[in-house]
Amino acid sequence: MLRMYLWLYVLFLYAPIVIIGMFSFHSSPSLVFPFDGWSLRWYEQIFASSTFRESLWNSVIVATAASIATSLLGATVALALIRIKGKMRDVIATICAAPIALPGLFLGIALVSGFAQAGMNRSLLTVTIAHVLYALPFFVATLRSRIDYFDSSLEEAARDLGATTWQSFHLVTLPILRPSIVGAAILVFALSFDELIITVFVSGNESTLPMMIWSMMRRTVDPTINAASMVALGLSLIVITIAGAIFWLQRRAAISSRTSDLRVEANDQVDSTTEQRPQSVRPVQGFE
Amino acid sequence: MRIIAGFEEPTSGTLKINGQNATSLPPEKRSVNMVFQRYALFPHLDVFDNVAFGLRLRKLPKDEVNKQVTAMLHLVQLESYSGRWIHELSGGQCQRVALARALVNQPNVLLLDEPLAALDLKIRHHMLRELKRIHEETGTTFVYVTHDQDEAMILSDRVVLMNKGEIAQLGSPQDLYAAPESLFCAKFFGETNILEGRVDKITSGVADISTPLFSAKGAARNAREGETVSISIRPEAMKLTGSDAPLLAGPNRLTGHVEDIVFIGNRVVYQVRHGDNLLSCQETRPVTGIQYTPGSHVHLNWPDEAVVVLTQ
Repeated sequence: MLRMYLWLYVLFLYAPIVIIGMFSFHSSPSLVFPFDGWSLRWYEQIFASSTFRESLWNSVIVATAASIATSLLGATVALALIRIKGKMRDVIATICAAPIALPGLFLGIALVSGFAQAGMNRSLLTVTIAHVLYALPFFVATLRSRIDYFDSSLEEAARDLGATTWQSFHLVTLPILRPSIVGAAILVFALSFDELIITVFVSGNESTLPMMIWSMMRRTVDPTINAASMVALGLSLIVITIAGAIFWLQRRAAISSRTSDLRVEANDQVDSTTEQRPQSVRPVQGFE
Repeated sequence: MRIIAGFEEPTSGTLKINGQNATSLPPEKRSVNMVFQRYALFPHLDVFDNVAFGLRLRKLPKDEVNKQVTAMLHLVQLESYSGRWIHELSGGQCQRVALARALVNQPNVLLLDEPLAALDLKIRHHMLRELKRIHEETGTTFVYVTHDQDEAMILSDRVVLMNKGEIAQLGSPQDLYAAPESLFCAKFFGETNILEGRVDKITSGVADISTPLFSAKGAARNAREGETVSISIRPEAMKLTGSDAPLLAGPNRLTGHVEDIVFIGNRVVYQVRHGDNLLSCQETRPVTGIQYTPGSHVHLNWPDEAVVVLTQ
């Protein structure tokens, strides 16, 4: 019975994707069964449309700009959080991440009046700013676990060994945080790429991909919508898969570094010839 | 320790390293290196690069870095681990990498912040011997913070005993053990019997002390006549004899009965009840076997030199 339920649940989750996927390759314009055969005509049609290409390009630009800007701002927050000790760190980190719960509608309205008061015309720039604002809390929340187990004595160790403040940041802190920052930046890309609600409020004449799909939907139900959605889905999937892979690798490294303390001297008995360092010594990045 | 390393500035006083004022020198400008309590090894670098970190910052030529790091890894017996990542090492190995990373810079002072605290007992003993060997081979000044009195006594030439932020006593481990200046120090290093008494008389530096149940005699140190003092007598200074012989009159002896016997392999500790006092008496294991059982009546005696008078 439960197993039956589980299958229904999976069907419910994935049926729309499968159906849209199928009909995006449908050879006839019909959006209902029976299925007539396969073709790429809707993809050809959608890629022939300049509106589609422009909005896809706009989305890529906005998502890239937003993820770079968010990473710069968010990583700075993370660096500050590392330096705060004890309870205050939890409090401030929570404050930084809490706007995740803010409804997009609220953010959209607030930003529209904000931009109007600042005298900014709505454009891709305002969209990017809005996306940064929207994604920052997600970015900080993602980095938080890494911040919590960042050992601030690593920076002290670098200073102790003769590094200036800048060198210790450049040679120790940044390389250690880099994988987490890249992972979080990819997440921001995905968030920005399919953001619709806030974008509707703050965009000017140029539209993003989700907006374009949405407006197509309002006019007619055209099979090219299926193809456009599949393109959007595909891009998001690629980006999220990369992010997932990075997180998985990091988590594995973190787990093994935590368990290594528990490992008793067993390693000492390992045959000492198993791992010989090559004679040429590779320099650490950034030293020269 | 954080003041010596340069992570914190003292609220008052100055810090001199080799006679030079270093009070407000930034950490990277001091010839001081530290072995952190949790090692603080760089997880993104392998063993070799960790050890080479300080040398490369000083822009040493590559083959020089290579030579010195290899020599240092040899010293800590980790030559074959140079390409390992930090998370592939055991606790004891991490400890040795941390030591090598600090020592390779040939600091004037090496700071060790409870370096063995995170290791389990067996590795701790092993690393303690390693540290002593490396200390002797390099001749570097070690400043070693520990809560473990055994580590302090085994490694040190000089021990500074701190109590609530103040120096309780400074001296060689032997001084601190044999001639503690305070009750805190006497209790901190090793086991001891502490008894209270009153100084009756001091004749040419030797005090006669009476306690409610027996009398003792020993160097008066800074005690005055009529003063109430504590006396410390180490368990190993006490001699246990059977009760068949009559107890001779005089100080530094008493009679009691064995309440408990603790067998610790090469040593035996007897808990002897004398009135309200429970005294520890430690002997090396008699080859003929333990002759007493709980309840045995015994005599205890100790030499005058074993009595350490502590004023309050």
